[in-house]
Amino acid sequence: MKCQFLLFVAAAVLMAVCGEEEQVQQDEGARLLVSKNVHNKYLVENMDVIVKYTVFNIGSSAALEVEITDNSFDPDNFAHVSGELSARVDRVPPNTNVTHTVVVRPRKAGYFNFTSAEVLYRRKEDAPMLQVAASSEPGMAFFTSYKEYNKKFSSHVVDWAAFAVMTLPSLAIPFGLWFSSKHKYEKLSKGSKKH
Amino acid sequence: MRSLLLVLLVSCVAALSVSAETCLKPEVSASAYVTEDATVLTQVAFTTQFTLKCTNGAKGISLYAEVDGKSMPAVRLSADNKYQVSWTDDIKKAHSGDYSVKLYDDEGFSAIRKAIRNGEDPASVKPLAVVVVNNPGVYTGPWINSELLAAALAALVSYTAFSAKSKLLA
Repeated sequence: MKCQFLLFVAAAVLMAVCGEEEQVQQDEGARLLVSKNVHNKYLVENMDVIVKYTVFNIGSSAALEVEITDNSFDPDNFAHVSGELSARVDRVPPNTNVTHTVVVRPRKAGYFNFTSAEVLYRRKEDAPMLQVAASSEPGMAFFTSYKEYNKKFSSHVVDWAAFAVMTLPSLAIPFGLWFSSKHKYEKLSKGSKKH
Repeated sequence: MRSLLLVLLVSCVAALSVSAETCLKPEVSASAYVTEDATVLTQVAFTTQFTLKCTNGAKGISLYAEVDGKSMPAVRLSADNKYQVSWTDDIKKAHSGDYSVKLYDDEGFSAIRKAIRNGEDPASVKPLAVVVVNNPGVYTGPWINSELLAAALAALVSYTAFSAKSKLLA
């Protein structure tokens, strides 16, 4: 029992020390939170996927030479439509956001794991080493094939046009018969009036 | 007299140090991409990449961009003097047409912030360059559902047929 209590105290002290250390670290220099988000309703093969990186500085001073690199979209599986996957921002002042947006298109359907991007930055002007950070991970996702997507969401104009053509005979033939007989009777009635 | 000289010298040095950092006769060649097909997206992304050319060969200038009242730093890309400005907007809020991305260097950007602080018109600060991003309009899906159109057509045909029949029988 005593031993347990001692352990507990030791743990508490350790935590306090760690917390203090963290506090000290937070007080000096910049601290960045980086999120990586995908702004898509559906993920479809060969259609745009918007990936947005948001950097927010919760530290007390500006982060310098912030470099975002994302190696998770390899060119074999993704076409890079616009925006570069490696970007540098000179300065992120405290309590401000900086965003970077990239548009890619998956070349293949199937499961894909959106992993995190790597971020390097200098926490203060005279920091001897660069701080390494990782962005959040959007996680596992499934890219639907374009065919499958089209089946669900396209307007099926061709299908409906085909349906219209198929129903046309059953409507047009009776109408044609009726119209010709009507025409005949009208002619007859006109003729009878003349006489 | 001496103080006047000093002032002159200081201003000269200031001008020199500024000219070393500023971009003279900036030329911008840009490419832009706007996600037009919003059927699978929740937001519209605007991205533009451009290279800045200065006649004085200035490099590594920090650039800031201002679009529709939003300001953001231009992100530097791997190539020299190549930048990217990108932002996202709600599909409903994004208007079609031209967006002018005004680019400022450090000085211009601080002048703008100062103007906003003092309640002056920020448009008085001349941008270094302007990049125009055209949004031809976001496609959010067909204007009318095809099955709805088919149902309406079927209803129309059957209505004319039945009304013609009842006219004949009357």
